[in-house]
Amino acid sequence: MKVATDIGGTFTDIVYIDKAGEIGVDKAHTTPPNFEKGVIDVIEKAGVNTAAIESFVHGTTVIINALTERKGAKTGLITTKGFRDVLDIQRGNRPDLFNMRYKKPESFVPRYLRHEINERINYKGEVLTDLDEGDVLRAIAALKKEDVEAVAVVFLHSYINDEHERKVIDMIKAEWPEVFVTGSYEVTKEWREYERTTTAVLNAFVKPVAANYIDKLYNKLEAIGIASPKYIMQSNGGTTTFEKSKETPINMVESGPVAGIFGSAMIGKLVGNEKVIGFDVGGTTAKCSLIDGGEVKVTTEYKIDQTDRFAGYPIKTPVVDIVEIGNGGGSIAWVDEAGYLRVGPQSAGALPGPVAYGKGGSQPTTTDANLVLGRLSPKNFDMDVNMDKVRESVDNIVAKPFGISTDDAALGIVRIANANMLNALKIISVRKGYDPREFAMVAFGGGGAMHAAALAKELGVKKVIIPLASSVFSALGMLMTDLRQDNINTFNIRMDHIDYDALEAKWQELEQAAMADNLTKGIAAEDVVFVRNLDMRYWGQEHTVKVLVPNKMISESNVDDIIQRFHAEHEKAYSFKMEDSMTEIVNLHLVTLGKTEKTTFKTIDAYSEDTESAVKEIRTVLFEAVGSVDTKIYDLGALLPGMTVNGPAVIEERSSSIVVYPDMVAEKDVYGNIIINTEV
Amino acid sequence: MIEKNNTMDQFTLDIIKDSLYAIGEEMFIAVARSSKSPVIYETLDFASALTDAKGNLLTQGNGVTGFIGLLSSIVKATINKFGIRNNILPGDVFIINDPYIGGGSHLSDVGIVTPIFYQNELVAFSANKAHWTEVGGKDPGSWGVDTNSIFQEGLQFPCVKLFEQGKINESVMDIIRGNVRYPDLSIGDLWAQIAGNRTGEKRFVELCDKYGKTLVMMSIERLLKSSEILSIKEIQKLPKGDYYAEDFIDDDGVGHGPFLIKVKVTVTEDSFICDFTGSHPQVPGPINSTYYATVGAVRTMFLAATNPSQDINDGVFKPLKVIAEEGSIFNAQRPAPISTYWESMSFASDLIWKALAPILPDRLTAGHLVSVCGFNMSGIHPDTGEPYLNVAPNQGGWGAGEGMDGQNAQFCIGDGETYNIPAEVLETRYGFIVESYSLLADGMGKGEYRGGSGVVKRYRYLNDENYFTGTFGRNKFLPWGMNDGGGGSGNRFRIIKKDGTIDGPFGKYPRYPLREGDCLEMIMGTGGGYGHPYKRPIDKVLMDYKNEFISLAQAETDYGVIINPDDGAFIALTKEREAFGAANQ
Repeated sequence: MKVATDIGGTFTDIVYIDKAGEIGVDKAHTTPPNFEKGVIDVIEKAGVNTAAIESFVHGTTVIINALTERKGAKTGLITTKGFRDVLDIQRGNRPDLFNMRYKKPESFVPRYLRHEINERINYKGEVLTDLDEGDVLRAIAALKKEDVEAVAVVFLHSYINDEHERKVIDMIKAEWPEVFVTGSYEVTKEWREYERTTTAVLNAFVKPVAANYIDKLYNKLEAIGIASPKYIMQSNGGTTTFEKSKETPINMVESGPVAGIFGSAMIGKLVGNEKVIGFDVGGTTAKCSLIDGGEVKVTTEYKIDQTDRFAGYPIKTPVVDIVEIGNGGGSIAWVDEAGYLRVGPQSAGALPGPVAYGKGGSQPTTTDANLVLGRLSPKNFDMDVNMDKVRESVDNIVAKPFGISTDDAALGIVRIANANMLNALKIISVRKGYDPREFAMVAFGGGGAMHAAALAKELGVKKVIIPLASSVFSALGMLMTDLRQDNINTFNIRMDHIDYDALEAKWQELEQAAMADNLTKGIAAEDVVFVRNLDMRYWGQEHTVKVLVPNKMISESNVDDIIQRFHAEHEKAYSFKMEDSMTEIVNLHLVTLGKTEKTTFKTIDAYSEDTESAVKEIRTVLFEAVGSVDTKIYDLGALLPGMTVNGPAVIEERSSSIVVYPDMVAEKDVYGNIIINTEV
Repeated sequence: MIEKNNTMDQFTLDIIKDSLYAIGEEMFIAVARSSKSPVIYETLDFASALTDAKGNLLTQGNGVTGFIGLLSSIVKATINKFGIRNNILPGDVFIINDPYIGGGSHLSDVGIVTPIFYQNELVAFSANKAHWTEVGGKDPGSWGVDTNSIFQEGLQFPCVKLFEQGKINESVMDIIRGNVRYPDLSIGDLWAQIAGNRTGEKRFVELCDKYGKTLVMMSIERLLKSSEILSIKEIQKLPKGDYYAEDFIDDDGVGHGPFLIKVKVTVTEDSFICDFTGSHPQVPGPINSTYYATVGAVRTMFLAATNPSQDINDGVFKPLKVIAEEGSIFNAQRPAPISTYWESMSFASDLIWKALAPILPDRLTAGHLVSVCGFNMSGIHPDTGEPYLNVAPNQGGWGAGEGMDGQNAQFCIGDGETYNIPAEVLETRYGFIVESYSLLADGMGKGEYRGGSGVVKRYRYLNDENYFTGTFGRNKFLPWGMNDGGGGSGNRFRIIKKDGTIDGPFGKYPRYPLREGDCLEMIMGTGGGYGHPYKRPIDKVLMDYKNEFISLAQAETDYGVIINPDDGAFIALTKEREAFGAANQ
């Protein structure tokens, strides 16, 4: 049996699959600050036979929480002479252009805990000044005196030559074995000193927290008899071992959310769609990501705490490219000063939550609007929903100011929420040069199934897939993962002066290191798969385009082929190419997968064309184009392959509600996914 | 406030408005991501916009604040020249950089205007303006600190057709290629700009296809009107009255100055008037602003003073009035040199800031570095032997304000979503060594809230072929403090020669030759302080000392806190601080 557990804000989810492909799910409360307790609770609640577990995968919010709540270690920095202020100087940008009281991100390390070392390496990787070990010893002594718990070591140009960083780390380990230490080369090998320094510092900052959590979880899992290999979900859409995750915990920053996107890619493959838009609507946000060719896209452009008006902190580790907006089921509807109706980004959260929860919320949310429209049933809530209160809030905040009916106001809220989500979906598709008509949408999370059909239609997406276990889909996604690592190494070279041997030697070096790493994780050599990408650009440009290249030596004979691929990718991304312009390589990006055995989902043998048998009630539901109509409500569990649901319809289970619009057709496939044909 | 007519259309209008904003963002990103010049993709020294068919700004994507007044004026200049002769046709693209007819700023900022037609009717314009690394002229990088007329500052595009009904005008392209030093960069940027506008055009037409032209036009009308009403509401929150400020600009780079500048800001029930009458006449050096640039400076401060998160369109700016005498430094007349116009434009903003700061402590702080501290460096890469050109702004200290210390190392008001170039990228691309990139930490800007620290950057050169042109304003007249807070420090640069002799410091200098072993030191000043320094809590002063933002002597003389140098512990307050405390109980 394989088990995945995923910690969310309110619930910790479990999904497990047995040898026969039978899937089980359950939920237990999340238990801050001792998150491992919730994990054990949910395993016990689900009644899983721990002795039968062969693989355990875990997604956690412990790292992102420690960062956003600043609950990490007292951290010091050792860096190149002349550069200790990089953490204050940052990039100097002011996203809140007209705010003369803008406050830039505050450094995680105060100035007095940053020490400069006399040493210097140039951009070619040559040592200009040897490492001054006396400086290092003095810095160590000073940091010790200040009771620092973690140290980051970052030297200029270490992405091309890390020998000074390694030497200092060895010295620290010898002098001060109990302190947690991170060299920038361990977490990122890309140029740009501020980004690399921040990444190393944040890794050091969370390292003690991560080690403590992982160790506690490990011991508790062992205590309840789970002796199988244990993996942690990373931000790149793959897993690593518990042991490795303690070294570079910053790789877990988006541990949970990316699993759903990865799962979308896998479900897409399962049902024959290599081009997929993953779409996740939760309580406070909606997230989406585009998958082309069956693989998730990974970038190192990630930032925490970033908003339209705040620069945030860059983390240059590989993260699945997700666009997130402040629009979920709990997003609040309001009227702005100029008289425009808005939804979000403010959210009612878990407390007070939507008005429907009856926990004191008085501002209407998207969930409340969906209740008014009949798309959600009050019967599927854990509490008694007072519909009068729900209607009253929509009346007070929206209907009265605009002088319209409650129904029209609720429809307005859903339309604005959809417009916001549509914008996010366009950012990842049309604006990046992709044609949504070629893509299927995989919608999950608490609200994904409710909004997906309308959005797909607007975008021109023909097929919507509501996957099985859609409300705990991130955990399901984890069951389908492999071990993955992304090594991105700056190797800036113009295509007209390539040293082909040096380039291939660099690839070999990266591959050998990754292979050795996988072997220590218990993966057999034949299960290790390499994928080579180049980050390329036109000479003089800044932003790069990722180009998939074959796993063979680049030489005179095939270099033109690679340049042509770059032109094509550039044209797709930016709508033009400059075939006469010089191109250059900026980074080598090696993806290494350690393949693990997968269990295939059990298929449903039953077949029936008696769709009516799955109808549980008739309810009035309001749709944009046709108004209020008596609508058949289907029980998701009772639907079988062969049955055809004609819209307008709603397909319900307790934790989700699938809205099928007029003229659309929905069916259940043999795996239990609902497939909606949007008929666009 | 809320119109109570057809409500379902009302929400559609909201959605159309949001789509217009999304188009603005998309156009902006399209240019940034495809440009070939660091000044565009790193500094984001460009802006893009949609206007209606009359040239009214609907939405603007900004990298820097300085362009805020400029995009509708280039569209209006296009309408004035071609529109009145019905000579704006589908497929046309216009190029314009004449700051005197629209667009303000300087010749380096090249504007591209694309008319948008729907069913053969002119419905809107997409426009952008971007700082080209090169537009020719007497200096590499085109702008200089010692030009004597606009004719030395580069190629002038007096609003001409680059495309005629879809067909590119190769003659114009050839003239560009023949007149700029790095045609590959400039032409590359030009294509990025054209692509950005095309994106806007495509999306606008899609919007009309989806909702119908009538609804789109209704949404635009509603947007402009509601923004104007909101803007007046914001003005009504400000205390009414006349507010004054004066200051001096150091010099003009060719030996004249200082120059007195002044403003009177009048806030009434429904208007916001900035009158620069009495400011110095235009000067022989290139620091003059055109009227359009001055309008940009005023718009920036208007947003800062009223509602920094407000949307940007011409409805918002309707209650604004800008008065600057013709022939003055803030409304220079052709052919005055204007290539470093930002040296006066930023001062126009700073004057309004200074005038309003006392009445708006929740929006404005003490004075900051003001100057872009821009430089223009050319040379030969020591390893590749290829020529390089590095044009960039610098970060410095911002002023402290009520309840907050000043920010360290930020770009000035005229910049914005502007990024520095990392040392690792600089060294790779230009081949010199960045010896340090540090906070200035000179202890200036003393106050209950301390001014933000400036920056010191040192570049060491490995060959002889480098020339540096710098324009560092606020070199002699320093960032101002508030409410008994101290002033900041000045911006300057100096050269530490290979033999150890020092040349400088300078504020403005053209083409300083830098040879192998020389070190260029750029120093950007600290911002002004806020409140009396004796009011700064002792623990904060101890921390400032521990973090080396102030010296032991400054702790004692400026802050009245005596610290034990051996362990950094508090010893006592000075008699002066004790007395101050007693008097201010």
